[in-house]
Amino acid sequence: MRLGHISLSHFNSTSFRKIDQIIVLLLLNSRKPSGRYCTSLDTIRAYTILVDMYTRKRAVGHLDADCFYVSAERVRDPFLKGKPVGVLGNQGACVIAKSYEMKAAGVKTGEPIWDAVQKCPDGIYVKRDFRWYETLSRSMLEVMRRLSGHVEYYSIDEFFFVAEPGPGQSFQDLAVAMRQTILEELDLPVTVGIARSRTLAKLISDSAKPFGAKAVLEKEHEEHLLARLPVTEISGVAKRRAKRLLPWGIASCLDLAKADRGLVRKLLTATGEALWWELNGEPTGEIHSARPRHKALSRGGSLGESTADPHRLYAWLVRNLERLIEELRYHRVMPGKLTLWVGYRDGIPGEGQTRLAVPTDRFDLLLEALRPCLRRAWRPKHPANRMHLIAEDLTDRDTAQGGLFSPHDPRAEALADVKQRINERIGRFAVRSGATLPLKSIYDDGANGYDICDVRGKICF
Amino acid sequence: MASGIALALSDMPLAMHCWPEVSRRIYRRGGTEAEVRFLYDDREPVLPVMKDGKLELVRWGNGRGRSRCLPRTGWTWKATVEQGGWVGAAPGVVRIPATLALEKGIWFRVRQGVHGLLVTDEQGVESAYMICEPSSHYYRVMTRSDRMPALIEEKI
Ligand SMILES: [Mg+2]
Repeated sequence: MRLGHISLSHFNSTSFRKIDQIIVLLLLNSRKPSGRYCTSLDTIRAYTILVDMYTRKRAVGHLDADCFYVSAERVRDPFLKGKPVGVLGNQGACVIAKSYEMKAAGVKTGEPIWDAVQKCPDGIYVKRDFRWYETLSRSMLEVMRRLSGHVEYYSIDEFFFVAEPGPGQSFQDLAVAMRQTILEELDLPVTVGIARSRTLAKLISDSAKPFGAKAVLEKEHEEHLLARLPVTEISGVAKRRAKRLLPWGIASCLDLAKADRGLVRKLLTATGEALWWELNGEPTGEIHSARPRHKALSRGGSLGESTADPHRLYAWLVRNLERLIEELRYHRVMPGKLTLWVGYRDGIPGEGQTRLAVPTDRFDLLLEALRPCLRRAWRPKHPANRMHLIAEDLTDRDTAQGGLFSPHDPRAEALADVKQRINERIGRFAVRSGATLPLKSIYDDGANGYDICDVRGKICF
Repeated sequence: MASGIALALSDMPLAMHCWPEVSRRIYRRGGTEAEVRFLYDDREPVLPVMKDGKLELVRWGNGRGRSRCLPRTGWTWKATVEQGGWVGAAPGVVRIPATLALEKGIWFRVRQGVHGLLVTDEQGVESAYMICEPSSHYYRVMTRSDRMPALIEEKI
C-alpha cells in the first residue's frame, strides 16, 4: 500500500519513528498539483491516524514484581506491610526472599536464617507458599494479557511484553499505567521498564526498582544509563564472562555496547553477540506468548539438611524421579537421556548419566536406569545438600515408536495410570514409592508438596 | 517453645491501649501497625488470653515463683495436659491470641494464636501456661528447637 509516493514500509524504519518528522513528510507528500500544500488540520489528523496505524509505536517491556514472595504475603496479610519480612525456604533454613526493609539491614537472598537474624533482629519470618504465589502470578499474567497483545510469562514474577501505547499515550505513560493497574487490581508493587530490546528493558526495570516505571527509548538516555551499569548487571553475563571482557577495557554495559562486535563474538560466542545487538537496541529474540516446547525437564533442588546416608540419598532420588515422571506425563514426552547431579557441602559435585535404549516414562524402568547413575554421583561419607534430575532427548509419547526391545508392559502401565489418577484426585504423593520413607518429615509438610518448578508455562525456571 | 509473643495493637480493645502493662509493651518495627510484646523475660511476665469472649492479661506461668504450688515454668507439654497431669489445678484450655511468636531470637508469623492452659493458684491468682508439642521438621530447622508452641488451626 502506498500513500503518495512514499511507501508505507518507510515508516517502519527507525529513521521515521518520530511523529513530527512523519508529519513533515506527509505535508510534503500532500503537495497539490497547483504547488500549494494541503494544510488543513483535518488532513493532518487523518494522516496521523493512518501513520499511527502503519507505524504503530512498539517497544519491548519488562515488568517485574518487587520482592514478589514478600509482596504476595503482604497481599493476604497487611500487618506485614512496611516491616522487615523474610520468606524462608529450604525447609526453614534460608531466606529465599526479603523485603526492602530487610535488605536495608544487610540481609541477602539465600542467607541462612541464623545470619539474617543477627543482621535484622526485627525481621519477621514467614514460611514459603508457592501455591499462593502461583495464584497471584497467574492473576498478574491475566492483567498483563489485557494490557498487551503479546505477553511472555518469563518467570513467576516477570513478564516481557510488546509495549504499544494507546492513542495519545507515551511509552512513559504506558509504563506508569501498567504499574498502577497491577497495584490497584492485585495490591502488588511492580517495576516496569520499556526499551528497544529485551535486554535493555530488563536493565531499565532492574535499575528502576522498587516501584519504578521508566521508558528509555532515546539513544542518549540509553547510553547514560548503560554507562552506570557494570556488565554483570546483564542476565547472562556472570562474573566468569565479565572477567574475560575486563582485559579489553570492557567493564560497563556501555563499554560492551560500544565494543567491536567481532571481538565480543570471539570473547562471548554467539550468545554474547546477541547481547551486543540487544544493547544496541536491535532485538534478537521474540516475545513468546506461549512457552516453546521443553528441550529438557528437570526436578530437584535443596535437600534441606545435608545427608551422607545413602538410603536418604536414594529416597531423594526416588522423590525427584516421581516428580519428574509427573512432569513427563503432563507434557506427554519420554526421555532418551537422564542425568543425575548431586551437590555436596564441600562444593565438589558428583554426576551420573545414562542413555535409555528405548524412551520411557515408566517408574520401574527409569529407576533401574538411574541406580548406576547414583552410584557414580555418590561420594561416600561426604554430606550432600542438593540434587537435580534432568531428562533430555525428549520424544513425543503419542508418536514414539516402540524399539526392538520395547518395554511395553500393560500391567506396569496400568499401575502408573492408577497412581497418577489417585494422586490427582486425593493429593500429590498420596501414592508413592516405599523407598521415600526416610523422608517422612518432608512429606508430612504440605508446603514441600509444591515448588517453584511446579508452576508451569513460564519460560525461565 | 516460644519465649515471647506479639499481638497487633489493633487486635486489642481500644480501652486497653492506655493500660500501663500494655502501653509500656508497645513496639513499632515499621509500617503502620504497632504491636504489643509479651516476653517471658519481662519483669512480671503476662500473656493475653481470651476468657469468656473477652481479652484479659494474666500471669505467664510461674517463672518468678509467685505461687508455691504451681510449677516454676511458663510452658507445658500437650501430652501432659492430655494425660491429665493438671487435673488437680482445675485447668481450662484458653486461646492466647498472637500475631507473632518469638523463638531463639526469631520472630515468626502466627495466624491465630497459641493454645494455653489457664490454672488458678492457691491464692486464687490465674496463670496461663503456653502449651507446646514436639517441633515439626520446619520449626526445628528454623529455630533449632525441639519444642514448638501448639498453634491454633495452623501447621508450620
Ligand atoms: Mg521480582
